[in-house]
Amino acid sequence: MEFTNIHLVSALGFALALIFGAVANRTNFCTMGAVSDWVNMGLKGRFGAWVLAMGIAVAGAQVLELTGLVDVGSSIYRTTSFGLGGYIIGGLLFGIGMTLGGGCGQRTLVRVGTGNLKSLVVLLILAISAYMTLRGLLAVVRVNAIEPMTIDLAGQGIADQGVASVLGGWFGFEATQAVRWIVGLVIAGVLILWALRQEALRESRDNLAAGIVIGLLITAAWFVTGYIGVDDFDPVPVEAMSFIAPTGNSLSYLMTYTGATINFGIAIVAGIIVGSFLYGLFSRTLAIETFSDRNDMINHLTGGLLMGFGGVLALGCTVGQSISGISTLALGSFIAAFFIVVGSALTMRVQYHRMDDMSFFKALGVGLADVAMPWRMQD
Amino acid sequence: MSDFTKELDASGLNCPMPILRAKKALKDLQSGEILRVIATDPGSVKDFEAFAKQTGNELLESIEEGDSFVYRLKKS
Repeated sequence: MEFTNIHLVSALGFALALIFGAVANRTNFCTMGAVSDWVNMGLKGRFGAWVLAMGIAVAGAQVLELTGLVDVGSSIYRTTSFGLGGYIIGGLLFGIGMTLGGGCGQRTLVRVGTGNLKSLVVLLILAISAYMTLRGLLAVVRVNAIEPMTIDLAGQGIADQGVASVLGGWFGFEATQAVRWIVGLVIAGVLILWALRQEALRESRDNLAAGIVIGLLITAAWFVTGYIGVDDFDPVPVEAMSFIAPTGNSLSYLMTYTGATINFGIAIVAGIIVGSFLYGLFSRTLAIETFSDRNDMINHLTGGLLMGFGGVLALGCTVGQSISGISTLALGSFIAAFFIVVGSALTMRVQYHRMDDMSFFKALGVGLADVAMPWRMQD
Repeated sequence: MSDFTKELDASGLNCPMPILRAKKALKDLQSGEILRVIATDPGSVKDFEAFAKQTGNELLESIEEGDSFVYRLKKS
């Protein structure tokens, strides 16, 4: 086999993902856990780690873009197709799914690496449902029910869905290089400062390390695909880390290996699992976990299904849209990330009220009120 | 005499359920009473430390018994 550009990019991606997997395992980096800590305990340390990673990735990706090193705008996130329905519905479904399935795509891969067989089942279902939504039966639903809600920004004279371009289009100024530097700096600054204001982040070395390392890894991923990987004769897509479509592609790759070629996303998926496994081996924390009962299995299966479907609709997950996408400053990425958090918080509130033998619909109503007006939430 | 007022078995449940159940169970206790929680999720160790610190309910004990983790929380 000839070692070509795509193999180089994939090998570097695998190396970055090894670090991601080990660090995420060690630091317990988990967006669902972050939402749980905040909603159930009022603790914002892990949420801060996630937001810190976003802020650092924004700073890194914007510097790469505005200095002309990497064209991050050519990735899937910042196009003129503003898929509002997908960001909202897909984000909500993904948020519900990650709460039922014991964690998001990233967390599922990390837990597979440590021997969690529940997560392995979630991963398989997630991969199948993601692939079905990309190309299979569920793609029919996506194309007919979700895509009609897409807004074409080009028709409104807006160059892309980057925050600078959209603001420029609304308020009638041109998104020049200077404007984009300012917007990038302000957004990166707000995210990083908000994160660092959280005491629970500042006093936890694990949370700080997770935020910083993951933010830098996403930046490095842009550099690998968008700078090192540039080759006129053997081009690769410009992308950073994401876990939903790549998980579907990984399953397809394993099943059609002799006729398939590896790519960056597949290498990332494998790297996270192996990185987490190696950390587990080193720290002696590998342990086989299995379903405890019927409900446990039903929840995890539902979680995998919703994450695969919702993740493809929303164009990404808590890392793909919420860190990689946000680092391009695509407006849709912010919306998707927001609705992932809403879906997850709502699920936890419904689960909490259901313990009082409340009917599902009553619990849903009270849960919706909790999420819409958190200041009125009565425990 | 048992050294706890109420027991909660959260075996087999993973994040966020053990914390949600404990939160609910503590609501029914009086100040000073003790909740014993059994969980199997390894992530629950850090979760209960954080929960105790954040809510002011004292974590009297956090031990590993075979495949389970056992906690005793004193309601504030």
